[in-house]
Amino acid sequence: MPATEIVPTLEILRGWRIIADPTALDSVTWPVTAHVVRISPDDVYVIGSVEPAVPADPYAIITPELGFAGVGLSPAEVAAVAQEHIEWPLPFMRPALAQGQIAGVPAKLELHVDGSALLLVACAARHELQARIARTLAGCA
Amino acid sequence: MSRVVYDGAPIEYAQGDSLAVAALRSGQHPARGGTLCLAGDCGNCVAIVDGTPWVRTCQTTARAGTVVKRHPNGSHPSPGGPEQHARVAVRHRSADHVVIGSGDSGMAAATAARAAGDDVLVLDAGDGNEVIGVFDGPTIVVRTADGVHQIHAHHITLATGAAELHPVVPGNTLAGLYTAKAAAAVRVAGIDLGRTVTVGAELVAIRGEGTVSSVELADGTTHECDSVIIELGSAPRDVLARMAPMVPVTVVGPAAAAHALPPCPKEGVLCPCGKITVEDLDGVWAKGFQELELVKRSSLVGVGTCQGGMCMPHLRAFVADRSGTIPEPFTARPAARQLTLGEAAAGYHIDTFRRSPLHQEHLALGATLDKFGGWFRPWNYGDAVAEYWAVREAVSLGDVSTLGKMIVSGPDVVEALERLYPNHVHDIKVGRSRYVLILNERGHILDDGMILRDAEDRFTLTFTSGGASTAEMWVRDWIETWGLRVHVLDRTVSHGAINVTGPLAAELMRRAGVSDDDRPKFLQHRRAEVAGIPCHIMRLSFTGETSFELHHQIDGSVALWSELMELGRPLGIKPHGLQALFGLRTEKGHIIVGQDTELDSSPRRVNMDWAVKLDKPWFVGREALLRTATLPDERRLFGFTMDGPAPYEGSVIRVRGEVVGHVTSSWDSPLFGKAVLMGWQKRLPHADVVEIDGREAHVSTVPFYDPEGARARN
Repeated sequence: MPATEIVPTLEILRGWRIIADPTALDSVTWPVTAHVVRISPDDVYVIGSVEPAVPADPYAIITPELGFAGVGLSPAEVAAVAQEHIEWPLPFMRPALAQGQIAGVPAKLELHVDGSALLLVACAARHELQARIARTLAGCA
Repeated sequence: MSRVVYDGAPIEYAQGDSLAVAALRSGQHPARGGTLCLAGDCGNCVAIVDGTPWVRTCQTTARAGTVVKRHPNGSHPSPGGPEQHARVAVRHRSADHVVIGSGDSGMAAATAARAAGDDVLVLDAGDGNEVIGVFDGPTIVVRTADGVHQIHAHHITLATGAAELHPVVPGNTLAGLYTAKAAAAVRVAGIDLGRTVTVGAELVAIRGEGTVSSVELADGTTHECDSVIIELGSAPRDVLARMAPMVPVTVVGPAAAAHALPPCPKEGVLCPCGKITVEDLDGVWAKGFQELELVKRSSLVGVGTCQGGMCMPHLRAFVADRSGTIPEPFTARPAARQLTLGEAAAGYHIDTFRRSPLHQEHLALGATLDKFGGWFRPWNYGDAVAEYWAVREAVSLGDVSTLGKMIVSGPDVVEALERLYPNHVHDIKVGRSRYVLILNERGHILDDGMILRDAEDRFTLTFTSGGASTAEMWVRDWIETWGLRVHVLDRTVSHGAINVTGPLAAELMRRAGVSDDDRPKFLQHRRAEVAGIPCHIMRLSFTGETSFELHHQIDGSVALWSELMELGRPLGIKPHGLQALFGLRTEKGHIIVGQDTELDSSPRRVNMDWAVKLDKPWFVGREALLRTATLPDERRLFGFTMDGPAPYEGSVIRVRGEVVGHVTSSWDSPLFGKAVLMGWQKRLPHADVVEIDGREAHVSTVPFYDPEGARARN
């Protein structure tokens, strides 16, 4: 199989977005199956189609989120992408959420304890990022 | 022995020869003349290697089949075609401590750093790591066999040693001149230098035709020779140290040692890279350029291949002699080595241009896409005039997914928006909307858009496509600055938006399942399903016709677009691109922020005082507007009409021959049969008739089309 056919591809993710008071978000008990990305203290991105719990904030914004595309990267792929496309130092702590330009495209990298990561990018820019890192990912295949 | 091709002729080389040594082995100078250092310091051996110009042949190992060509005599080589500038991979690396130079002082520094627990990286050109620049960060850019490395370091030690001085005397561009170390290296390579003379400061002149034949010394003696070995001492090899004065670097070893300046040169080529002579420097000095930096800039001494590596000591000696003060060296500019464009661009990307969720639909419809406001957008679908008429006479779809979209919610949201916008916000009823400007502190227009009230404490905001990112930062920064309790969520990329516009737009909405009761009236908005897709329907108009903006989750964009196109087929529907849209809105006199406005455009200057409510106690920009309201203001945006083809946007506007402004928007109106345009007059008195493109244009009231706005409200 040509390497290009097994390159991980950024796919649009279904999820929910919750903007609420940080303390209200801190007190939410997320389902164990939920994949929760804490983008900032007042901003949670819950990946998956299950409607999330409502935080104790009457002004919370809770809305379906289809604005992200994502792809899981193996530890080798993370290392290759970082070496070739990330100018800023990755955080040493794991897990961690890193945000910055990857190959010149604003993106997020959810770094896991096992060295793997979830790469997130605005879906409108996913084609651009995919094209820019494809050769690197193909080299890992 | 193997062979390389040098200026079209095969020459033999020995294993391990550099290209320069291979040339010398065949009895040729590797370039055209000048002292050879064979250490990478000077530019006297650069040539075109396998199509790439400016390559230091002394630093390039000879390999079978390599093709070398000398630079053209008296001019610069062509930078080469795309094949010479192929994309080069970049690798990002990091280290606590980077030591540049692996000589004794460099290795000592590396050992000490390792002993202190640092992660140390030693770079040396001899090991294939050619440092080409030191930048803020600090970041070190290195050329290697597998591409360009960008190394992020906490500390940098430069142990680059010292470079041997070249002579500045008449005849110093001849072949047959070697620094002492270069001569030793040539001899080690087994090359016979013939009759040699070793000279130092006593050298007065070098004689010969192409190649040296004799030298003249200060004592008046002349010595015949085939080669001259130069022993003038050395100077710090400090190009990298001089490159980034803001970057903390430690310089050790000979690179840090004090070196006496050579005697002031009297005659000859001082800057071998630029062939700039002492006489040239005397010329600029006589013109008043009497500081080191001024001599450099006026003569271009020191800006060539070696970035002053060779000429700096002589140049400083020259300035010291003329001024009586020894000047500090000038800053070196990257790159310390010549690069291909591919190497220079390694790791850099052009701006990201986003794709609408309808990108493929546009392509399938034959759209020509253009980059606009950070997005790929349809410019037209093949016939902008037909698209225009579909809007004016039937119904049309436009993809406005690129608009900035934001939800704001919180107990202080009204207060926040009252402060952010120059319009009133508190009196917008739930389900209603209002056009708004966004001003900066100076009262200048930053962006525009809509405010739509979803609930007492929740609003949807829209912004222009190109201004959305700035607007988001603007809103977030101010809310945080004021400490107001407002949640902010940017929906720009997660929501698509389709504009259904034209006199038959309401009919299409009816056919898409939106009852008359569910259809919002002008400047109203509500949520309803359209063709089965949940939408936030916003009733506003940029085209001047009845319009419904259908905002929706992006997973419904393709289905909604396709269904509307299908339902609209009997109504004569066509999609419209930006080309038609810009014409439609020009006829309505709607501005595009950034196109019709300038960085200092106030609402008054674009005739939009109506969008500012100075009776509000405070909003961003209010003080500036109050202060400037009493000042004379010559600048005004005007509407114009003229016969003949529409002039280019950007065309100069003249009054009685004097330039008074420029055209910001221009459109050959199919409806009016003439050009309608907007543009600036920046001189008083404002004229009723101006000259554009050599033709008369007449000031016109704006909007040109449907000034009462009846069609948009219909």
